[in-house]
Amino acid sequence: MWSRVGGWRGAAGAPGRLAAGLLAGAASGRGAARLEGTAHRVQKLSSTSSALAAEKDEPAAPKPGTGKVASEGKEDKAETPKQKLLDLIGDMKVEMSYSKKLQQLKTRETKKQGTDGGDGEGAVPQRAAEGLQRGKPLNPELVEAASAVASSLPLDKKQTESELLAQLRRHEEITDKQRRGTAVDLRKVLAEMAVKRRSPAQRGVSISNRISLDLDEDPQSKPGRLVPQSLVSGRSLKVGRRLNIFTKASAAAQKALETVSPPTIWDLEFAKEIAAVTAQPPRNGFEEMIQWTKEGILWEFPVDNEAGMEEDAEFHEHIFLEKHLEGFPQQGPIRHFMELVICGLSKNPFLTVKQKIEHIEWFHNYFEEKKEFLQGS
Amino acid sequence: MAARLAGGGWRRALLLRRPCCLAGGRRCSSSSAALGKTVATSEVAPEEIVLPRKKTWDKLAVLQTLASTVRRDPTAAHYMFQDDPFLMPRNTASSRLFALSKESGRNAARYIIQHFPQYFDKTFAEPNVPCLMPETRTPQIEGVSEEALKEHICLRRVKESVDLFDQLVQAGTPVSLETTNSLLDLLCFYGDGESTLGKEEEEKEDSEEAEGNASEQKAPKRQLQRGSQPAGTRWRENNSAERIFKIMPERNAHSYCTMIRGMVKHGAPAKAYDMYMDLLNERHKADVHTFNALIAAVPRLKDRFLERWELAKVFLNHMVQQGVQPNLLTFNALLKTLRRCGGVGRSMSLLVIKEMEALDIEPSLATYDHLLAVFYRGGQLPSSGIICEVLDDVEHRSFAAQDPDDANFFTNAMQVCCELKDIKLAYRLNKAMEKGDNWRFLDMDRLNTYWSKFFSLLCMMEQIDVVLQWYKEMSPSLFYPSAKNILDLLQALDAANHLDMLPSVWEDMKQLGFSRRPELLDELLSLMSRDQHPQEIQLAFATCAEDIRAAHEPAGRDQAPLQWTGSSLGHVALLFSRAGRTQDAWSMMERFQQINRIPSEQVMDEFLTCAKQSNSPDEAVKLVKLAASLGLPSSHRLKSRTKKEFELSEEQREALESITDGDSSDSDQE
Repeated sequence: MWSRVGGWRGAAGAPGRLAAGLLAGAASGRGAARLEGTAHRVQKLSSTSSALAAEKDEPAAPKPGTGKVASEGKEDKAETPKQKLLDLIGDMKVEMSYSKKLQQLKTRETKKQGTDGGDGEGAVPQRAAEGLQRGKPLNPELVEAASAVASSLPLDKKQTESELLAQLRRHEEITDKQRRGTAVDLRKVLAEMAVKRRSPAQRGVSISNRISLDLDEDPQSKPGRLVPQSLVSGRSLKVGRRLNIFTKASAAAQKALETVSPPTIWDLEFAKEIAAVTAQPPRNGFEEMIQWTKEGILWEFPVDNEAGMEEDAEFHEHIFLEKHLEGFPQQGPIRHFMELVICGLSKNPFLTVKQKIEHIEWFHNYFEEKKEFLQGS
Repeated sequence: MAARLAGGGWRRALLLRRPCCLAGGRRCSSSSAALGKTVATSEVAPEEIVLPRKKTWDKLAVLQTLASTVRRDPTAAHYMFQDDPFLMPRNTASSRLFALSKESGRNAARYIIQHFPQYFDKTFAEPNVPCLMPETRTPQIEGVSEEALKEHICLRRVKESVDLFDQLVQAGTPVSLETTNSLLDLLCFYGDGESTLGKEEEEKEDSEEAEGNASEQKAPKRQLQRGSQPAGTRWRENNSAERIFKIMPERNAHSYCTMIRGMVKHGAPAKAYDMYMDLLNERHKADVHTFNALIAAVPRLKDRFLERWELAKVFLNHMVQQGVQPNLLTFNALLKTLRRCGGVGRSMSLLVIKEMEALDIEPSLATYDHLLAVFYRGGQLPSSGIICEVLDDVEHRSFAAQDPDDANFFTNAMQVCCELKDIKLAYRLNKAMEKGDNWRFLDMDRLNTYWSKFFSLLCMMEQIDVVLQWYKEMSPSLFYPSAKNILDLLQALDAANHLDMLPSVWEDMKQLGFSRRPELLDELLSLMSRDQHPQEIQLAFATCAEDIRAAHEPAGRDQAPLQWTGSSLGHVALLFSRAGRTQDAWSMMERFQQINRIPSEQVMDEFLTCAKQSNSPDEAVKLVKLAASLGLPSSHRLKSRTKKEFELSEEQREALESITDGDSSDSDQE
């Protein structure tokens, strides 16, 4: 496929020439006839991105890379002008630093063409002739000469600029036509069908059409050159358009959506079903023990003496109970008695911490109540 | 278990504590240097004893660590079969049977516990083990009230709930919208068992409950249940769900949604669509689950591919309009629908994947499964581009189950690898399967399918020693080879000229219960008898042949003997004669006459050679007799060979002459 394009491109740098001829009304020959079919489309495309492309096409056109040209042709067909624009902008970025130089380079070019325009193809209007002159071979010279011109032509900026723009616009049309030309050549059979592929809604005109087109259609959505494999298979997960139905909800909105409602029987059963997908019988004794542990049948590892203890209380709270004796006298028989009490309590595994404290408090209240008797005695 | 709360540990701790106690709250000086240091520093603030925080252990940490040290034993069957050596499965069928039996035994026990809780009233264990105790499944609230209805719904008693609801309505008691909705949930989920199905419904429900309790659930059971589900519960015209829905004084979005989901689940998609239209007319909004159900129902609503896609898109657009954010299941349902949209599916599924990416929804295995099905199902296979990219994604992730369809991915992907005949892809897929917890997606049946496909591919594409290594690695512990696998293995052995392995393969075949498969026996015999091998191998082959002969003899058991075919008989005779077992070979030769088959010329020649080697001219004469009686054209040649090569006694020579004469005279007479 590409080699054919290459042939086209290489043949006497012809497409540009042909396109120009077509514009001038001197349509003749095979190539021109081919172009005719899509002429209106070319116009449309070129007009959408004229200003941007004007800047960009200057260096792009001379690039002899046929693969790139061809794939761009594809883009056109894929109806993603946006994509194309992005590409153009991408290219522009690189050339931004050159923009000054370019301007001057173009001025020089205009001058040259102005002189050229007079001779040769007299019947052809000058505009087209100018376009014609802008072949590939010119460019190295122009680049070379650019700096020289830059110094010599700083005056009359406005006029130069408008001239330049007009010129570039024309130039852009031509290059675009060249691209179209190759693209049409590639897929003149499919052209009609591809044009119909405008909106997803219209896509389904005929299934059979689509199926037959499948291989050609999808890589268009993005330049196939990025993933060579996709060229072979025709499809790839990495590239391509999206459905463009949904928009991503913001995090806040998503949170708002997750309002808690009690789980319905649907939710419960779905959870079970999901759990069943990865449920596996244990593969060894340890896994079986894990399962038993989860079911609560087995001792929990590491085995210690805290099984069945209250969740919140820790070991030391059971044992060290002196801190609860603060309300008691520091010495004397009551203190002695209470120390014995806590000693007993700390050895008792059957009471909870709370019960132990309550026990101590009971004695506290008791001795408080009996305080007068005790002091009286 | 009763003595779980051992006092011993406590006492030990108390003994340790005692010195502190005696010191009367002051720090006791310690003899150890290290402690002495801390005493010195803590003298500044001597009051507080800082006890170290209790270290909490994950109760599974130890076991998990230990479990990670155990690897699969390639020579043993699955752990679940290791209770009883007698019940060690030998092939797919028996492993399936045993696994099912084990699980159904568990279910039976559970059934007894649930249905006769009165016999399980003693709690021996301290602390109690709730999962061993029967659940209370009888409603506690008596009488007719909304509370009682709620409890019934909670216990999933379908029919009783409906009765209670009717009684409430008849009594004129208003039932709140919320309760009615949960009743609708119940009815719609179970497809509203009608009165005849009531009992059945309850039982099924019970078993499902029990499943939920057990953390482990066996694959085969799941399969069976899945199979049995659609049988009982079809959505019926004017069932209780519809009836209750109609008499509801007010309905909210939830009422509509649950009706739609129930209708889709129980095979009434057209009704579900109408219900959705009603919902729209009432200006309610559907929830995401309802949309998922509707999208999944699309293939049953429309017949043409394009219409299906358009309808699915209508639902998606409605989601946007109603402000419903799609989830993973939405896209999985969409892709599942696209599986049944032919070429439309192929071009659209990629857009769907991109949409998921744009919404930051990570695909699950089901997503990839549907994708592969869209691209690789059907006659012509596209290139391996898509599956490569899918594997790129899958390789780097360990998946958790998110969609019930997740389980199908690995098996189907392996199928695609097989169809593409791409062993490299298969290796990659296998790597991905072994990564993390991905292996959990393969239950027992899928595991078998997966490995047997993989093995077939290996046999087809790999070097024989690699194949054999895999075979050793996975044969009894991961899967039981199918008859097709064995056939593949035989062909691989043949292709690699490794026929000396055949006897060991035959041993495995006997193990796997394939010793009576005619197609396998034919293949094996023809491979064994095709070429002459060294004597050792020939002897081993003859042993195999003996086994095979045994399978054709009436064994006296209930099994009917296999029928001999001419070729298998010839092969066996050939194998015997090559091994020098003249007597066995001759008994085979006699069979030809019994079953009216003609031995090939090669068999005759080889037998004669064998007879010569064992120097038994008697056999040679018998052979010529046999050939003559069968009217074989080679009988003359055999006769002359016998004359030439054997040292015949006078009688034998006479006998030989008479055979021919008799034969020719016979033919003359005829």
